[in-house]
Amino acid sequence: MPKITIDGKEVECRSGTNVLQAALEAGWDIPHYCYHPGLSVVASCRLCLMEMQMPHPKTGEMGWAPKLFPACQTPVRDGMVVRFDSETVRAARDHCMEYFLLNHPLDCPVCDQAGECYLQDYSYKFGEPISRMVDQKLVNPKKDVGPKTLLYSDRCVMCSRCVRFTKEVAGTGELCITNRGNRSEIDVFPGIPLDNALQGNVVDICPVGALLDKDFLFKQRVWFLQSAPSICPGCSTGCAIRIDTNDNIVYRLKPRYNPGVNDWWMCDEGRFGWKYVHDADRLTTAKVRRGADVSAPLWEDLGGIVSYRFEQHVARKGSAGVFCVLSPMMSCEEAWLLISFMQKIAPEVTPLVGHVPVSGEDQAFPISAAGKDVKFSIRNEKCPNRRGVEMVITASGCPTIGFDEFVEKAGKDEVSAAWIVGGYPDRDWAPKDLTKAAGKIELLVVQDTFENKLTADAAVVLPSCAFVERGGCFVNAQGRIQPFLTAIRPPDGCRRDGQYLYELAGYEGVYNAARVRELMAATMSPFGDLADAPAKPAHQH
Amino acid sequence: MADYEPILLRNVGIENSTALKTYESRGGYRALRKALKMTPQEVQAEVKAANLRGRGGAGFPAGVKWGFLPRDRKITYLCVNGDESEPPTFSNRVLLEQDPHQLIEGTIISGYATQTRIAYIYMRVEFHEQFHVLQRAIDEVYEAGYLGKDILRSGYSLECYIHRGAGAYVCGEETGLLESLEGKRGWPRIKPPFPAVEGLFHKPTVVNNVETLCNVPHIIERGAEWFTGIGPEGSSGPKLFCVSGPVQRPGCFEGPMTITCRQLIEDDAYARGMLDGKQVKAVMPGGISMGILTADELDMKMDFADPANYGLLGLGTAAAVVIDTETDIRDVLANVTRFFSHESCGQCTQCREGTGWMYRIARRIADGAGRIEDLDILVEVASNMGMMPGLSICGLSDGVAYPIRTIVEKFRNEFEEHIRRQSPNRALNVLATMN
Repeated sequence: MPKITIDGKEVECRSGTNVLQAALEAGWDIPHYCYHPGLSVVASCRLCLMEMQMPHPKTGEMGWAPKLFPACQTPVRDGMVVRFDSETVRAARDHCMEYFLLNHPLDCPVCDQAGECYLQDYSYKFGEPISRMVDQKLVNPKKDVGPKTLLYSDRCVMCSRCVRFTKEVAGTGELCITNRGNRSEIDVFPGIPLDNALQGNVVDICPVGALLDKDFLFKQRVWFLQSAPSICPGCSTGCAIRIDTNDNIVYRLKPRYNPGVNDWWMCDEGRFGWKYVHDADRLTTAKVRRGADVSAPLWEDLGGIVSYRFEQHVARKGSAGVFCVLSPMMSCEEAWLLISFMQKIAPEVTPLVGHVPVSGEDQAFPISAAGKDVKFSIRNEKCPNRRGVEMVITASGCPTIGFDEFVEKAGKDEVSAAWIVGGYPDRDWAPKDLTKAAGKIELLVVQDTFENKLTADAAVVLPSCAFVERGGCFVNAQGRIQPFLTAIRPPDGCRRDGQYLYELAGYEGVYNAARVRELMAATMSPFGDLADAPAKPAHQH
Repeated sequence: MADYEPILLRNVGIENSTALKTYESRGGYRALRKALKMTPQEVQAEVKAANLRGRGGAGFPAGVKWGFLPRDRKITYLCVNGDESEPPTFSNRVLLEQDPHQLIEGTIISGYATQTRIAYIYMRVEFHEQFHVLQRAIDEVYEAGYLGKDILRSGYSLECYIHRGAGAYVCGEETGLLESLEGKRGWPRIKPPFPAVEGLFHKPTVVNNVETLCNVPHIIERGAEWFTGIGPEGSSGPKLFCVSGPVQRPGCFEGPMTITCRQLIEDDAYARGMLDGKQVKAVMPGGISMGILTADELDMKMDFADPANYGLLGLGTAAAVVIDTETDIRDVLANVTRFFSHESCGQCTQCREGTGWMYRIARRIADGAGRIEDLDILVEVASNMGMMPGLSICGLSDGVAYPIRTIVEKFRNEFEEHIRRQSPNRALNVLATMN
């Protein structure tokens, strides 16, 4: 590990990195726009300039070189000495900050980025309160660059991150730069809008308010938002995300840095795939059907009712025909609690992984690289936790079958009782054969987010919360166990799946995913090694 | 300097000078035959010994540049920089349209010295006639066997292509040129890596100016010693100078780098003095981007070293634009700033925003609405840009800083007088209508 000296302090840094990254990781706040660790280095914003010690060309004596160097472009070398706190560096930075605001409209009061804008932050920290520019400002136009994105080029600082993103990560290259000098603008090619599966990331990496998300536009001032770390349930990639909410309403999802999984990015499918969370017709209460009579029991009574029904059923028919269909949308903890309950009440229960939604093929990015140097993947398995549920089933020691086999058995009347978990964003997820056979299952418990054909035939219907309302962990396609936290409360009257399953499994008190993982660790050691939860997400730049 | 016999321009003005026959009849392609009998290392050593400094503006020795190529390279590209876009400069143009074979011979010899298989001549798009002249010459040369496979049965092969630019000044910067040649936006690259290590299509590349390569055949033919005998030490060899403005004979001239700026304007061999009734007020002696000389500073030598003593960036393209006393210095400044704000590529903040800001200030001063503090802002902004202090990627902004700073500093009295003579509220009123 090379050691470098920054502003007189010795810092150990990763080899192969650059001075800017090393300084940022060591806690320095070095202003920068064009540098992004996930993109190529262009060293064009000239904000991260520093002084560096070099041997004198004649005497060989070490001294400060007479010019400045961009820290982002300078690789670290063991023993190198740099400084950011000198008068020269400050003067260069001051000028740069003044230039960024020369033609900027200063429309922060109506700008979505205000509050998380690096032009604002750096201006407060490094800039001057007064501009010496008295002439007319140049006004670059506002443009609609794609179905989901707006570009206010008057706010742009020309860092070119977005252009590099579409070229280097998405591989689609829709964005380009037109014109020269201070009339330069980001633009799209005529007739080709910015419309690729990763395009939302350009809004995230825009350090200012130039690229805007139409979906979030004018919805919230960002300082009202609270963030919770979560995992995207959109596919088995398991991108680390941040859920931004205010007053129990989700406003947007943003990616969280997660090396080796999603790095800095997420796809649009995940980014905008949460809207069902606030649908008015979600299931919020439990329902118990006795003949034609449907009642909504108190949550306190529910455990007793469900246990009683299963006990009676097993007493009558034995537990061989009892099945437990665990949805790959469930967290590992929920799956484990449900199996624990079912095993207790029906010792011969057959747990199985439920419907795994698959759509098309895996997509690898950059798409132009044809599968080489993959920087991001969208998986065709549109659920977050098939592997996690499989792990739990294997650890339970119960024999298991495939979902198709289960549907077949149900059609052949071989399923006498079943607990089926749904929870998919698509409310009509259940295959036709299953909904047809559902009526033949004597005791059917369905746990789902929306009413559908299955819940219509169920003896007991339990509401399943959306991922933003739950906490636990998912196991992604690479086998990584990734914890996520609750972002908002469930709708009024609704209880979290984890909570009622916790009680059914015989535990008392408030459901706590970390506590459940401790219990799970007895048979599944990887879950014991997991940190409690991801740290509060830092707003990354 | 009447006894100076032109070398680079020796074929200029003679009948049918662009034809291969004419060129050959005057000793053309003899140097190539000689070079092909030498080893590439010998050719390179000869050019290095001649201390042939780059004629494009920066003055970096060509032989040293070739020496930076990695030894274990497999592919080398040679790019000829014919993107001559510096404002009062037209020396490459003369070479291209009057004597294309001299450049082609220089290109082939340099290609041989650097073991290049493919040479690209990057030509500014405004050179229409010159493009056709050069293309015809290249076709002729292919037919004669000086280009293509196994040149003159030496075993050495070279393909040569002309690539035309799209009208950007910054594509004359060598890495901007490479980007443009690759079909991308002409944004100069960050260095290192330098083109000699990673240039065109990520392969070792040499970029040389047209005039530089035109010197190469003469060095090979007559030897490095002859070459260093012309002109002062450190600035050896023949040099083309351009003179424009209200002089008796504007044009492109050749001479040793011992002459002064005054000689260039007044000597009979060159511009032959000012037009009747005109007086020199200032000269921009190296294109516009090197800075300005006052009428008192005309004894500056037109070599690589002396301009620095007068606060200039360098010799540049050695194209002097003469400004007479009837020209308003405010218009000069406005024109210079307009050019650079139009040509800044827009990559680095200081250059992108600084040039635009300075143009708006200069325009306002020229419109009679300047303020004294504007002059300080101009100097401050101009002093805070450039590659040399590490503030930008390429040298374009050094070339912005020097003229603007020297114009304002050397003619500050005149600016102040204009501003004082403005009606007192003019600046305020103009600004009020703007905002």
